[in-house]
Amino acid sequence: MRRKLAILLAGTMIATTILAGCGSKDKGSASQEASNGTTEEESGKLEGDITFWHSFTQGPRLEVIQETADQFMKDNLDVKITIETFSWGDFYTKWTTGLASGNVPDMSTALPGHVVEMMDSEALVPVDDLIDDIGRDKFSEAALSEGEKDGACYSLPLYSHAQVMWYRKDLLEAAGLSVPTTWAEFAEAAKALTKDGVYGCSFPCGSNDLMGTRFLNFYVRRGGGSLLTDDLKADLTSDLAIEGINYWLDIYENCSPKDSVNYAVLDQANLFYQGKTAFDFNSGFQIGGVETNSPDLVDQIDCAPLPKINADDPDHGAETSNIPMVVWNNSEHQDICKAFIKKLYEKDTYIKFLDATPVGMLPSITGISDTPEYQKNETVQKFSNAVEVITDAMNKGTAIGYEHGPSVQAGFLTSQGIIESMFQDIITNGTDVEEAAKAAEDKLNELFLTVQ
Amino acid sequence: MTTRRDKIGNVFCHIYLIILAVVAFFPLVWVLLCSVKTSGDLTANPTRILPKHFTLENFLHVINELGFAENIANSLLIAISTTCIAIVISSMAAYGIVRFFPKLGSIMSKVLVTTYMFPPILLAIPYSMVMAKAGLVNTRIGLVIVYLSFSVPYAVWMLVGFFKTVPIGIEEAARVDGANKLQTFVQIVLPLVMPGIVATAIYTFINAWNEFLYSLILINSTEKMTVSVALKSLQGAEILNWGDMMAASALVVVPSVVFFMFIQNKIAGGMTEGAVK
Amino acid sequence: MKRKVKFDYARWIFVLPALVIVGALLIYPIFSSLYYSMTTKHLIRASYDFIGVDNYKAVLSDSNFYKAFFTSILWTVGSLFGQLFIGFTAALAINRVNMGKGVYRTLMIIPWAFPSIVIALSWKWILNGVSGFVPNLLVQLGICSELPQFLSDSGLVFLTLIFINVWFGAPMIMVNVLSALQTIPQEQYEAAQIDGASKVQQFWYITVPHIKIVVGLLVVLRTIWVFNNFDIIYLLTGGGPANATTTMPIYAYNMGWNTKLLGRSSAVTMLLLAFLLMICVVYFTIIGKWEKEDK
Repeated sequence: MRRKLAILLAGTMIATTILAGCGSKDKGSASQEASNGTTEEESGKLEGDITFWHSFTQGPRLEVIQETADQFMKDNLDVKITIETFSWGDFYTKWTTGLASGNVPDMSTALPGHVVEMMDSEALVPVDDLIDDIGRDKFSEAALSEGEKDGACYSLPLYSHAQVMWYRKDLLEAAGLSVPTTWAEFAEAAKALTKDGVYGCSFPCGSNDLMGTRFLNFYVRRGGGSLLTDDLKADLTSDLAIEGINYWLDIYENCSPKDSVNYAVLDQANLFYQGKTAFDFNSGFQIGGVETNSPDLVDQIDCAPLPKINADDPDHGAETSNIPMVVWNNSEHQDICKAFIKKLYEKDTYIKFLDATPVGMLPSITGISDTPEYQKNETVQKFSNAVEVITDAMNKGTAIGYEHGPSVQAGFLTSQGIIESMFQDIITNGTDVEEAAKAAEDKLNELFLTVQ
Repeated sequence: MTTRRDKIGNVFCHIYLIILAVVAFFPLVWVLLCSVKTSGDLTANPTRILPKHFTLENFLHVINELGFAENIANSLLIAISTTCIAIVISSMAAYGIVRFFPKLGSIMSKVLVTTYMFPPILLAIPYSMVMAKAGLVNTRIGLVIVYLSFSVPYAVWMLVGFFKTVPIGIEEAARVDGANKLQTFVQIVLPLVMPGIVATAIYTFINAWNEFLYSLILINSTEKMTVSVALKSLQGAEILNWGDMMAASALVVVPSVVFFMFIQNKIAGGMTEGAVK
Repeated sequence: MKRKVKFDYARWIFVLPALVIVGALLIYPIFSSLYYSMTTKHLIRASYDFIGVDNYKAVLSDSNFYKAFFTSILWTVGSLFGQLFIGFTAALAINRVNMGKGVYRTLMIIPWAFPSIVIALSWKWILNGVSGFVPNLLVQLGICSELPQFLSDSGLVFLTLIFINVWFGAPMIMVNVLSALQTIPQEQYEAAQIDGASKVQQFWYITVPHIKIVVGLLVVLRTIWVFNNFDIIYLLTGGGPANATTTMPIYAYNMGWNTKLLGRSSAVTMLLLAFLLMICVVYFTIIGKWEKEDK
C-alpha cells in the first residue's frame, strides 16, 4: 500500500512539474533588460517577446497573419511573437478582465467601440509615429479620428468595410421585383419573398450582440438622424427612431424567423449563406460566407446601397467599420509591436491579407485598390459592383454613434445590448413601443453618467 | 406472489423508464448523427434522422485545423492533476479532522460546506488578480490551483464521512505494533476508505473537466484552452458551422459517456453516502 | 494519553495543506470582494473610492435586481422540483422492475456526462428555431402550426431551461436515491407485508424514513448548485430574451462585465452569498433534527 501511495504522490508531482513546465510563460526577464537598454534602438535590432491577440479565429486571415509573424521572426531572430485568437465576443470579456487583473497583450485588433473604452481607461499608447511612418496621408482622416484623443491617435485601421443591402437576384427576378431603394419598397419586397421556406429578411436582436442597434441605426442614419444627440445623450424617442423601431418590428412580424430575436451576427448571416433569407444587411463578408455554404448561390447575390426613407432624400451615410489595431500601454516592447504592424501594411503582405476575404476586407490605406496585384483577385473582379457600392458607403458612413466623433457613449450604444433588450421586450412582452424606447433611452443615459 | 396489479404496475414502470431513457439518450444520438452530416444535410431536412451523405469531414476539420485534440489533452491533464492533488490533500485533511480534531471537526466541515456555496462569479475577479500577481495567468497550473480551491473543500467534506466509518480500534492495534501516524494512515486507514476515495476522485474529476467560467477568464492561448472554452469559441467563430460544433461535442462527450458507464457503480451514492454515515 | 502529546505536531501536518488552500483561495477573495462592494471599483479603470454602503443601496433599489432574484428562485425551485420528481420516480421504478435495471440506469445516466457547453450546444441545435429537429418534427406531426421557438419565445424559454436543467440533474438524484433504496433491508418490507401494511404505508413508514437524509442532503447540494449556476443559462440564452431568464449570477455578471461596475457587482454577489447562507442554515437545522431522530 505504501508503494501505491508513493506512486500516487510521485504521479502528482510529475503532473505538477509538467504543468509548471509548459505553464509558466516566462515573459523574458532577460529580454526585458534588453528592451530597457538604449543599445537596441541604436543598432536598430529588435529583441523580446510580444503577444498579439486578434479575432481572426480561423481560415485564410489567420494563416496570413501567422505567416507574416513567422516571416517577421525569421527577419528578427530575437523576436518572438505569440498569437492568441478569440472570437469577437470572447475578446471583449478577455481584455476587460485582463485589464482588471493586469493581463493584456502587447498588441491587438479591436472594434472601434472598444477603442474608446480602452483609451478612456488609459490602456493604450499613441501610434502617431507609426502612422507617420506608414504615411499619414494614406489613411482616411475619418478613420484615424476614430482613435483620436487630445490630438493623439491611439489606433490605426487595418481594414475597412461598410454595411450595405444584400439581395438574391434570382428571387427578386422570379417575383418580378426590382431592387428596392426605399424602406417602403424594401418591406414590400421582403414580405413578397417570404414564402417556400425562405424568409424575406431576418431581423436579429440577440442581446449578446449589436445587431438590433445596427439595424435601427441604418434606418435612423439614412433618414439623416442619429441615435445620439449633439450633447451625447441617447435618443431613441425621436420621431425618426420610433418610426425605425416600428419599421423593424413590422419586418420581424412579417418576414423574419421568430428565432431571430436571439440572433447574433453569425446566426443572422448564416441564414443568408444558406439561402434561407432573400435580403440581408452586411458588408462584403457576405460573399465568402455564401461561397463556403452554398457555392451555387454565389452568382445570384449582389448588393445595393441601404434603402432611404424617400427616393429623393440625400444619400446620408450609415455604418462604416474601420477595424483598428492598437498597442497596449502595458507592453514592454512597443517598438516591436509597431515594427510588426508596419510590416502588415507592406504592400505585398497587405494585399495577401485582404485577399483572404476579398471584398469583405477593403483597404484602409490608399495606393492598394488600384494596383494590378489587388485587382487580379477573381472575387474582386466578379463583384466589382459590390466593391463600388461598399466603398461609396464606406466613405460616407461612420461607426455607430460616431457621427458626433468617437465617444464612450457611442461604444455603450453597441456594447450593452440595451437596444436589443428593448426590441426583445416589445416583441416578447408586448410592451408599448414608445414606453420601451423611453425606458431604454433612460437606461442608456443613466449608464452614460458612469462616464466622467 | 406477483399479482395482476403488480404486473400492470411493472408495465407502467417499463413504459415510464423507456420514455425517460429515450429523452436522456436522444441528445447524444443526435449529436453523433449530426457530426457525420454535411452542412447541406444539416439544414436542408432537419427531421431526417440518418445522414444522406456520410462524412467524417467535420471531425477531420475539428482535429486537424482547429487543434481540438490538443484541447482535449489540456482538459485531461488539468482534470487529472486537480484530482490527484485534491485527493492527496483532502484525504489527509479528512483523516486529520476525524482523528485529531473531533470537536473542531464538525465546525470545520460546516465551514467547508459553506465554501461550496460561494458563487463562482464572486471569485472570478479576485482570482484573476491573485493569479496575475503570482504570474500564473494563462498557465495550466494556475487553473489547477483555482480548481483545487473549490474541489478540496468539497472533497474533504465528502471524505470526512467515510473516514468516520473506520473504527479506532484497528488503528490503535497498529500503533501498538509501532506504526506512526503516517504509516497508520497509509497502511491501515486508506485501504478501508478506498471506495469513498474513488467516488470523491470521480466527482472532482468531473467538476474540473466540466468547468467553464474560470478557464474562459484565465486561459488565453489557443493551445492551452480547455475543451469547454474551445467549444465556446467555435460558436463565435467566423463561420457558424453546426457540423463542426457537433463533431467537437461528440469528441468531448463520447469519452465522458463511456467513462461514466464504466464507473457508474462506483459513483452510485458516493455523493451523499459518506456524509450520511 | 501520553502518545497524543508526543505526536501533537503531526496532526497539524494532516490538515495544513487543506487549510492553506481554503484560506488563501477562498477567504482572501471573499474579503476582497466584501471590500470592493463598498467602493466604486470599476472593471477597467484604475482609481476607485470608498463609498460605504452606497452600492448596496443602489442594488436594493434596482427593480431588475428583484426581478433577477425572483427569476432565480423560480429557476431553483422549478429545477429542483423537477429533478427530484423525475430522479425519485425513476429510482423507484428501476428499483421495482426485474428486467433491464442496468440498461435503464446506464442510459439515464448519460446526461450527467455532458459538460455545460455541450449541453448548451446540443440543445441549442436540437431546438434551433429554423433547422432544429424538435420544432420541425412538431410541425410535421401537425402538433404546431408554425415552428415553436423554445429558446426565444418568452412564454417557453423559461420552461425550456428548466426542462434542460432537469434533464441534466435528474440522473444524479436518481443514482443517489437508487443506492439509498438498495440499502433498505428487504425484511422490513416483508415484515410490514405480514402485518398487512399497504404499499403506500410501506412507502411512508419504511422507504421515506430510510432515504430522507440522503434526499435532504441532495436537496441542499443541488439548491446551492442550481442557484449559483451560471454556465447553463449564460450559454443557452445569455439571460434573454428581454431578461426573461436573467438569474442572479447572470445579473451580477452583467453588472461586472458589461456595465463594468465591479463594486456594485460585488455587492450583488455578497447579497447572494448572504441569502444562500440563510437557506443553508435552515436546511442543516432540519437535517440535523432528522439525524437526531434517527439515532
